[in-house]
Amino acid sequence: MYEFQYHRPESLDEAAKIFAGADDPKFLAGGMTMIPVMKQRLAMPSDIIDLSRIGELTGLSAGAGMVTIGAMTPHAEVAGSKEVEKAIPALAALAGGIGDPAVRNRGTIGGSIANNDPSADYPAAVLGLNATVHTTARDIAADAFFTDMFETALEDDELITRVSFPAPEKAAYAKFANPASRYATAGVFVAKTATGIRVAVTGAGACVFRVEAMEQALSKDFSPGALDGIAVPADELNADIHASAEYRSHLIGVLARRAVLQTG
Amino acid sequence: MEKFGIGQGIRRHEDFRFLSGKGTYIDDITHDGMVHAVVVRSPHAHAKIVAIEAQSAMAMPGVLLIVTGEDWTREGFGTMPTKSAVQKKIDGTPLNQPPRHALAIDTARYVGEPVALVVAETEMQAVDAAEALDIDYDELDAVVDPVKALAPGAPQLWDDIPGNFCLDFELGDKDGTQAAFASADHVVSLAIENNRVTAVPLETRGAIASYDPETENYLLENATQNVHANRATFAGDVLNIPEEQLHHIAPDVGGGFGAKNSAYGEPALILYAAKRTGRPVKWINQRGESFLSDTHGRGQLSTVELALDKDGTFRALRTSTIGGIGCYCWTVGPFTPSGGAARTQGGPYNFPAMYYSSKVAFTNTAPMDPYRGAGRPEASFQTERIIDYAARTLGFDPVELRRRNLMTPDMLPRKTPMGLDVDSGNFPEVFDRTLAMSDRAGYRARVAASAEKGIRRGFAIAPYMECTGGGPKEFAGVDFGRDGTVTLRVGSQSTGMGHETSMPQILAAELGIDFDRVTYVQGDTEATPIGGGHGGSRNLEVGGNAVLQAAREITAKGKRIAAHLLNSNEDDIDFADGAFKDVKTGQSIAMDDVIEASFETGRLPEAMDPGCLDTGTVYEREIITIPNGCHAAEVEVDPETGAVRVERFWAVDDFGKIINPLLADGQVMGGVAQGLGQALLEEIVYDEDSGQLLTGSLMDYALPRADDLPEMKIAYFEDAPTAKNPLGVKGAGEAGCCGAPPAIVNAVIDALAPDGVRHIEMPLTPEKVWRAIASAR
Ligand SMILES: Cc1cc2nc3c(=O)[nH]c(=O)nc-3n(C[C@H](O)[C@H](O)[C@H](O)COP(=O)(O)OP(=O)(O)OC[C@H]3O[C@@H](n4cnc5c(N)ncnc54)[C@H](O)[C@@H]3O)c2cc1C
Repeated sequence: MYEFQYHRPESLDEAAKIFAGADDPKFLAGGMTMIPVMKQRLAMPSDIIDLSRIGELTGLSAGAGMVTIGAMTPHAEVAGSKEVEKAIPALAALAGGIGDPAVRNRGTIGGSIANNDPSADYPAAVLGLNATVHTTARDIAADAFFTDMFETALEDDELITRVSFPAPEKAAYAKFANPASRYATAGVFVAKTATGIRVAVTGAGACVFRVEAMEQALSKDFSPGALDGIAVPADELNADIHASAEYRSHLIGVLARRAVLQTG
Repeated sequence: MEKFGIGQGIRRHEDFRFLSGKGTYIDDITHDGMVHAVVVRSPHAHAKIVAIEAQSAMAMPGVLLIVTGEDWTREGFGTMPTKSAVQKKIDGTPLNQPPRHALAIDTARYVGEPVALVVAETEMQAVDAAEALDIDYDELDAVVDPVKALAPGAPQLWDDIPGNFCLDFELGDKDGTQAAFASADHVVSLAIENNRVTAVPLETRGAIASYDPETENYLLENATQNVHANRATFAGDVLNIPEEQLHHIAPDVGGGFGAKNSAYGEPALILYAAKRTGRPVKWINQRGESFLSDTHGRGQLSTVELALDKDGTFRALRTSTIGGIGCYCWTVGPFTPSGGAARTQGGPYNFPAMYYSSKVAFTNTAPMDPYRGAGRPEASFQTERIIDYAARTLGFDPVELRRRNLMTPDMLPRKTPMGLDVDSGNFPEVFDRTLAMSDRAGYRARVAASAEKGIRRGFAIAPYMECTGGGPKEFAGVDFGRDGTVTLRVGSQSTGMGHETSMPQILAAELGIDFDRVTYVQGDTEATPIGGGHGGSRNLEVGGNAVLQAAREITAKGKRIAAHLLNSNEDDIDFADGAFKDVKTGQSIAMDDVIEASFETGRLPEAMDPGCLDTGTVYEREIITIPNGCHAAEVEVDPETGAVRVERFWAVDDFGKIINPLLADGQVMGGVAQGLGQALLEEIVYDEDSGQLLTGSLMDYALPRADDLPEMKIAYFEDAPTAKNPLGVKGAGEAGCCGAPPAIVNAVIDALAPDGVRHIEMPLTPEKVWRAIASAR
């Protein structure tokens, strides 16, 4: 780690002021990504702005067909929430499958989607459920939020405040965990929503993406069999020591069918 | 039976300390004026060190010292020779041994090799200066694969070692084996890889060095498994000082598994730094450095051949192996792929003929040294895999084929064709007990239940036979305090296995004293005159017998005192249940009274002085023991994803006499966990071209976690006692690594046999399993 200035503002306004006055500031949420990166000296922010005291970023509510989660809500809280469990069980289950207990108690939804790790789980839910990302500047539709590997539509000084998920008719998330990191080697979120079927894939590409061919097939026939013969071409997918692109392509098919089956 | 006697499952004495954060590991220790060292490691797999510009880094805040290869050469420090038990090639000439210094002198030969040491007032200052150190490298071609390293045209690691060739090795009857193969009804052959893995001890390596200019003595506190042997290397080979000038201590050590066996360069570097700076110097490896620079294990490529008769009787086994050991011979690196893997070839089976040969290559990778079992797990896996493969390809029942070829008790004692003295054991009985335990009756129903879910289920049984190793001598010393305390000092070392429990347990049982009175001392060159440290499942076998020997010497002296006090004849005194008794008069005197008397001149026989009960003794093993057993696994395989789950696991182990079943269970479970890791998850991967380590963190190197492990049922077979040592123990530490990998891998093959799958290389990752199914179809 390099030296940096540490700040812990109590409001969004205060956070914005600190940000504006600093050289190369970074926001800190749960620190599950930020702190290891800093320890390895891969990032050298001049200032760290800890978001943990900002009340405007906390809170979780469910009602009127909508689940709204404050950016600083840790995964464990989403996983354990009776309200989320009732409104969107697939979302609670996804949060409960992230990392390990320590990670779930520290890591936040805001940090997860701002970071947009290609193998993170939350992006699949955000995109699959057609959620809206609320920020200090605007509301961003899920389809416009995740732009590339570790990249989002967020401006440097823009903070995610909360994320709202419209409750789907039904949904499920099927994940194949990397045995070392337990991130997703591939994960598929399938949802039947008011605006149609959505299939979002994480872990397999540079960034979470939708599979239109699967969505169309499932719109006609919402059954695992409808997906037979539909594959995401391997040449669009990631390859690493854990899984080849071909295997990931195969997993997407398997996981999509399992997700459809799980929606019941 | 007394409360804390031999055979009792006493809870680990050390656990409260460890579990409540009260352990003392290296990083818990601080000394006045202590400064910090950081190792600068090579970012290249193979590169000439053209120049190191140290001046600007030296000028940075807090920097006290920078040590480079040039400094090391100027100081004239010696190299660290290998202590491999195999020192010669087949032709009788010595193995090729490149000079191993504490850091790279003019060429770096693996990513992570120490190139410089930076010492500063604080750790952060040292990290800053290390980062700023300007090193000019000239990159060279690298080779990480041992087969490629031995091939013509490979990049050459050492000018004077042509072909990267360290040694070749053979054991067994080459011609007899050849003859058996020529006349056998069936011959099967399979290429088998033992994947390269690393131990990942919870505590990374680290040390603190101090120097006293007045006495010219050094103190090295070090997370090591072997204080005495490594002192000999640091003092005698590197620093050129008498051993007595280096006091070497291992405090609590958080796991080793072989990776902390050796004399590494870093402790030597900080010993020098302590003298130069006049300050205690601490160095602690980060986890990433640990992956790069800890010794790795296994990493052997073998061709294994089995010759059988029509009825399935084994005729001969032949294995030829290529092993890479990194760019140096390290401490015992050349031994594992040669003698280490040879001895226990063929396991507990009746092989009339066997032949093992190997070639050992230098590669641009981290060094190889023992990893839990050091060759025996490799041999066990090779033997069990080829038997399983033979059964599948020739149409034998794999369980039956094994059962019929096991050595039977009437064949013992016997020397195997690999020269192993098998004195005791009942392999068929252990096999049958394992089968009985594994609920074969319910198996069909479980297969059907799995099939319901679209899952394949498989079963395999894996008998194994291995041997102990490590230093043949051990010291045990017992000191009695006037306040009733008893101190037990032993030269073997625990890295978490529970010696503080098992060793006092033996002493307390033998002397009939309370277990809690015994204070245990280990890992200190000043506490014991010799010490064999940790390794080769040797602690109970050598150290435990040293404790027993010390206890018996104490009771012999006690008899003389008791006879004096009871006015008896020494020959009439019997010692049992903590009391000395005159068998003629019936008078008796308690051990504690004898201990008390031993401090008082007036109460001692003439030839004995106060404190005479204090005892120090050296036990020497005559011959290594033969731990053996049988493991079995039931697995579930998801044919769609290739994911494997070990569902059930059974083990019946013959470790001889069980001193503490709780500790033995811990050894079995830990070994099985590591065996499961090797079978399904773990693999060190280097990039073929750049030689970069691709599995350099826990995000990429898959260690088994609690939820990867099955419920294990463990039992012990104690009905085949060994007379090789007085305690009757055979060793327990490495058995799990011998039994688990073949049991698990063969169970997966069993599950996929209907799909036509015959072989998958470890680790059986989901993708490999999926591909095997796809290509078998
Ligand atoms: C061992 C381990 C295992 C893991 N396993 C998984 C897994 O299985 N699945 C998975 O999905 N994830 C996994 N994670 C990631 C984890 O769940 C966190 O979500 C992730 O590390 C980031 O969240 P955080 O709250 O810790 O953010 P931080 O690390 O604090 O921040 C991450 C980034 O987001 C920015 N940021 C944070 N909050 C905001 C905000 N409100 N607005 C704008 N920018 C913001 C920060 O500036 C920073 O750039 C794992 C992490 C670890 C360490």
